[in-house]
Amino acid sequence: MPDSDSLRDEITREVAANTILVYGKGTKDAPRCGFTAETIQFFNQFGYPFEVIDVLENMPKRDALSQMTDWPTLPKVFIDGQFLGDTDILGPMAQKGELTTLLTQAFEKKGVKPSVVL
Amino acid sequence: MINRDGVVALIRAQMPDADVVVTDLTGTMDHYDIRVRSNAFAGKSLLDQHRMVYAALEDARQDGRIHALQLKTEVPSA
Repeated sequence: MPDSDSLRDEITREVAANTILVYGKGTKDAPRCGFTAETIQFFNQFGYPFEVIDVLENMPKRDALSQMTDWPTLPKVFIDGQFLGDTDILGPMAQKGELTTLLTQAFEKKGVKPSVVL
Repeated sequence: MINRDGVVALIRAQMPDADVVVTDLTGTMDHYDIRVRSNAFAGKSLLDQHRMVYAALEDARQDGRIHALQLKTEVPSA
């Protein structure tokens, strides 16, 4: 059983390794929660790669995540290492154009361009 | 489960000035869309605004009366 320090290290590594990272319930292909599915659809619009990590049945990791972010619910989204809540936060950011700016900057650093969508 | 007035009461207990609109998303009284407008949000990031509402609803989420919620917060415009 990993202790909370090693869980925090694992989360820190995962956040660093993925420009867009979603901690959710279920996987990208088989989401097991409406809000996780909604978040996957949300990011599909942008054409950038994103990772979904299923923590549905990993309560210790969910607890560690909640403590690290001071945020009680899933999904939890990180972009470029920054915690950004869920689509209730990202939706308004997208409407104001802030999210596209953030994503463009984050992926430019890595030389990744969005695939064409629409 | 919790009724809509119950949700409003929990939020107003922390933010007495809040305008709260609660919609039952599934008809099961535990999946809610909640819109909160309060001066208590002034100067706070959207993340912190949502944290304030989650805190007000903490007990009801912990004991399962609320299973899922989507949230929109704003500061009154005038």
